Amino acid sequence: MTALLQIKDLYAGVAENKKEIIKGLNLTINAGEVHAIMGPNGAGKSTLSYLLAGKSDYEITSGKIDFDGKDLSELTTSERANAGIFLSMQYPVAIPGVSVSSFLKHAVNAKRKYAGLPELDAAEFLKVLRTAAKELGVSAEMLKREINVGFSGGEKKRLEILQMRLLEPKLAILDEADSGLDIDALRIVAEGVNRLHNKDNALLIITHHLDLLNLIEPDFVHIYADGHIVRSGDKSLAEALEKDGYKSFLEA
Amino acid sequence: MSIEFEKIPLWGEDIPWLSGLREKGAQIFNNIGWPNAKTEAWKYSYFPRADIDNLMLGDYSHKCEHDCHCHEKTLTPFAAYGIKFCDGRLTSEHFDLPQGVEAKSLVEAIYDGEIKKYLNKSFEMENFPFAAMNTALLEQGLVLIIERGTIIDRPIFICYHQHNNNRQLSSIRNIIVLENRAQATIVEYFEGEADALYFNNVVNEIYLQNDATLCHYIYANEARRARHIALNSVNVRANASYKSFIAQGECALSRHESHILLQQEGATAVVNGAYRLAQNGVSDITTDICHLAAHTISNQLVRGVADGKSKGVFQGRIHIAPDAQQTEGYQQHRALLLSDEAEIDAKPELEIFADDVKCAHGNTCGDLDAEQLFYMQARGISKDDARRILIEAHINEALNTIADTNVQNWLKENF
Repeated sequence: MTALLQIKDLYAGVAENKKEIIKGLNLTINAGEVHAIMGPNGAGKSTLSYLLAGKSDYEITSGKIDFDGKDLSELTTSERANAGIFLSMQYPVAIPGVSVSSFLKHAVNAKRKYAGLPELDAAEFLKVLRTAAKELGVSAEMLKREINVGFSGGEKKRLEILQMRLLEPKLAILDEADSGLDIDALRIVAEGVNRLHNKDNALLIITHHLDLLNLIEPDFVHIYADGHIVRSGDKSLAEALEKDGYKSFLEA
Repeated sequence: MSIEFEKIPLWGEDIPWLSGLREKGAQIFNNIGWPNAKTEAWKYSYFPRADIDNLMLGDYSHKCEHDCHCHEKTLTPFAAYGIKFCDGRLTSEHFDLPQGVEAKSLVEAIYDGEIKKYLNKSFEMENFPFAAMNTALLEQGLVLIIERGTIIDRPIFICYHQHNNNRQLSSIRNIIVLENRAQATIVEYFEGEADALYFNNVVNEIYLQNDATLCHYIYANEARRARHIALNSVNVRANASYKSFIAQGECALSRHESHILLQQEGATAVVNGAYRLAQNGVSDITTDICHLAAHTISNQLVRGVADGKSKGVFQGRIHIAPDAQQTEGYQQHRALLLSDEAEIDAKPELEIFADDVKCAHGNTCGDLDAEQLFYMQARGISKDDARRILIEAHINEALNTIADTNVQNWLKENF
């Protein structure tokens, strides 16, 4: 079985000033797995997620990322999304003037077009959207609002989950999905993610906290510092980290 | 070089007061001279005098080959009362309008003489050279009086059409009066066939009496080589409300100037707009809102897009007179500047002589937001589509302020 995501000896950083942030990263994720990456602030966790999603501010200096049999560096940002990478951002951006439903229609149809499927018309799309929204407890009123404009932290994350549900990614990256959420909102996110996770897709969870990992059970936990993984293990690693902090792992 | 207005044949030369008024307009225009780079109000959007040399002035014989009368019922894109100007000329003197609306051609209103109390009474010609020129060429236009308490159920849709074979300066003067408590929506739609070359010089004098409300929507969708200059001169009395939206498409020059006097307590004005330029056109939205009485409110929201080698101009002055206490004036202009060769000129001016006022203005100009573009691409939307959607959204922020849903949807589909 080929891996869904395979990162090999990756060195990468900020395109503008050539600052290297990721230094010798190796990571393999197979379909069906849940991986968690934990690490101190400034270790380059977000750089990794942006790099996977294809943000133009970041570039690879050496090494390789393969996703679902393709060299990721050959795909544009939108092609990566359509190929099955979904990045749920720490701070989803507000887009005044664009309604949630019209944005989602564009996104769903872009993916269908990429897959060689006919685009959905307004009526077909609304049917799909309503079903998904109902499942996740997203109100009809929210679908009419402008994307993330005036949304609470919880509403923003709920919208991210709805997008994930509609786009059915092969690899969902949750970048600090827990930031700014109270425990109820966190539970909603976790329930949504757990519902979507199956043997054909994988999750990469970037977090500081054990709370989220108690709600979304990881198969693997990686401790990430100074641009690479310093230790890998199962969930007990996260528990040890919560107890002792990063210091003991960094010194080791 | 001055223009020899007296040689242009116009209707009603035997009416002394009319001839006198035209002469005064000609004199003032020729005294001011053609606006140039040194004319403060025109420094961003002046154009060469020579550009109108090949146009016919004042020949309003009807050259349209089809029967324009028949358009009136079919020309509106949504349920509305249609009125049409063809190549600068009002096509009919019979209007299909509801009770409580008195409509006449300007010629007929001049003949009756009653229009004198409104004609050229809302602005000083010295400040508006092209309105002075318009006065020198007074003939074509429409007079609409909405009688006391009348509420019109559908918009009045005025279409100004210019044909390909027409090369002309079209001078149009409309007088719109809403008497006490009257309410109306007026849409002005300007269109020109692809190769048409013309100059529309339009002046609307609008009088809103106590408690009247006018929604005034303008869409200038002129031919690429056309020039369009319009002055909306509006007097707003006690508790009356003027709400306008100006949508400017791309042509050689489209300039809309709003000169609004909030004359009495409780008068309000909303002067919103949008412009969208992709190639080499020039768009100018200039407003001068004068708060002359206490408890008056004005609001302005304008969104623009300039790409290619185009130029967008926004000049907004809010004047608050010493007696105009407890007034509010808000102004916001945001433009997308999408190419290195495009230009945006913005000149906000606040003149506040009262001390108990709330005023704010904001002006921004820049490229599309990189974070928004990334977010959309990260959801599978191509970069080109993401740009298109964001530009659309930027314009929609302005269009969403249009209260009439038919007009709003029409502009969203066509602007």
